[in-house]
Amino acid sequence: MNKLILGRYIAGDSLIHRLDPRAKLVLSFYFVGIIFMANNWQSFSMLLIFTLGCILASKISLSFFLKGVRPLIWLIIFTVALQMLFSSGGQMYWHWGIFKISEFGVTNGLYIFCRFILIIFMSTLLTLSTAPLQLADAIESLLKPLKAIKFPVYEIALMLSIALRFVPTLMDETAKIMNAQRARGVNFGQGSLIKQMQSIIPLLIPLFVSSFNRAEDLAIAMESRGYQGGEGRTKYRVLKWQTTDTMAFVLFAVVTVALVYLKN
Amino acid sequence: MAIKFNEVAFTYQKGTPFESQALHDINLEIEDGSFTAIVGHTGSGKSTLLQHLNGLLKPTEGEIQIGEQIITPETPNKALNNLRKQVGIVFQFPEAQLFEETVIKDVAFAPKNFGKTESEAEAIAAKMLQLVGLPESIYQQSPFDLSGGQMRRVAIAGILAMEPKILVLDEPTAGLDPRGRVDMMAMFEELHREQNLTIILVTHQMDDVANYADHAIIMSKGTIIKSGTPRAVFSEPDFLLNNHLNVPTTTLFSKKLTEKGFSFANMPLTEAELADDLVALLSRKGGHDANE
Ligand SMILES: Nc1ncnc2c1ncn2[C@@H]1O[C@H](COP(=O)(O)OP(=O)(O)O)[C@@H](O)[C@H]1O
Ligand SMILES: [Mg+2]
Repeated sequence: MNKLILGRYIAGDSLIHRLDPRAKLVLSFYFVGIIFMANNWQSFSMLLIFTLGCILASKISLSFFLKGVRPLIWLIIFTVALQMLFSSGGQMYWHWGIFKISEFGVTNGLYIFCRFILIIFMSTLLTLSTAPLQLADAIESLLKPLKAIKFPVYEIALMLSIALRFVPTLMDETAKIMNAQRARGVNFGQGSLIKQMQSIIPLLIPLFVSSFNRAEDLAIAMESRGYQGGEGRTKYRVLKWQTTDTMAFVLFAVVTVALVYLKN
Repeated sequence: MAIKFNEVAFTYQKGTPFESQALHDINLEIEDGSFTAIVGHTGSGKSTLLQHLNGLLKPTEGEIQIGEQIITPETPNKALNNLRKQVGIVFQFPEAQLFEETVIKDVAFAPKNFGKTESEAEAIAAKMLQLVGLPESIYQQSPFDLSGGQMRRVAIAGILAMEPKILVLDEPTAGLDPRGRVDMMAMFEELHREQNLTIILVTHQMDDVANYADHAIIMSKGTIIKSGTPRAVFSEPDFLLNNHLNVPTTTLFSKKLTEKGFSFANMPLTEAELADDLVALLSRKGGHDANE
């Protein structure tokens, strides 16, 4: 369960940590977009170096990022292999029936591999360096213009922050209940498929019960502290746009220009 | 079944960037039929230690012997299934594990998992529900309709229904009212005496340690800092107080009396002992006064 690196925040005080979460969110999405412009080794190397630079600036160990790749490794291998085996063009290295490895296939496979790594590293950097609640605040702030068309921004943001807040709690709870049921002789993930499905019930029901109880408690706690919906509510953590955030945008603009220049 | 830990250490999520050591240099022996109390601050590793007793966790270093079973970091998980049946663990807030439609079905869940038939399991369940002092009228009710104290008893009956040789209890009285606490401790005492169960109890109530346990283990920061009979452990109240742990009310009271000039041959452990000692001391003092 703890293998999931996406969504785990690592507290720190680096330049990246201190960036406005709105800037980080927007720039991460933007970066994922421009990755698809890269189409030769020069442009990919530039993006890789830039990403590694960002990771360095976050002062988070590279091993966290490599761990983030692990759950997706099969997807990556599969996609890369598909590209390598089925695309043709350029010099042919090997060939057997419909499978062939060509110069074109190899470079394409490599580019796809780079794309995966870049996307994973950048999105991992976002979630490792930004507390989940900050992200929720950022989304709320970015969605605000939609209020004009009666989109329930506050409610969505509140739901999002509550959900994010309770993910770790729910994971702890799951681990605890699994242990308790294991102690009563349940073997999770063993035996026939039917047995395994049955073993989910003693886990799910207690989880539902405790989640409903918790939701009720939370609602009462919020109401007794005067919560009446998001309209006009002030914030404890106020998002503040700083010069470094503007600088970050400028930097990304420079990267984009460089990318346009380097690509074919 | 006796239990022996030899240089045991445990690290959560070993080999990942998140690894954290929860236990180190654990050496302990728990005799068959004993009543052992484990005390220590939150986060000192008590619950982690307990999960080693039925193989939910395996040591990352060292060796554990439980009865005939030896557990090392290399022991395959399959070999531990048998242990689950012999060591029943009642986790903290065990009412969170209830899930069946009726009380009796929930209690019968574990014995069914360990191979009993439906009717055998329900017979055991009925016996255990009686043992924990629940009336027959609730057997067919949903466990979620019961009071907190009753739910906890159902959960404990659910573990007892495995008919374990060792009963492990992680803060079983947390969150109960004083009356419920006393009743529950009396129940464990009875189980210990009548069923000859080996009991391992994690608690923050030093009075319970003094009153019920015959072996006390003090944990701090992932290791054992003191162990022995409660009398030996509480005979130096300053050691516990310096480690920011409580001492039994009796010990505290006696310590204050000692500071005021009383002297006890043995530090009294329970209220009854203290009362006896005080009667003896005061009558001697009274006699002395009368002589003058
Ligand atoms: N599932 C887990 N993953 C990682 N660390 C844990 C886990 N459970 C407990 N710990 C850590 O291990 C240490 C001991 O915890 P625990 O055994 O629960 O202590 P206690 O029961 O004495 O309060 C604590 O520092 C705790 O944060
Ligand atoms: Mg605990």
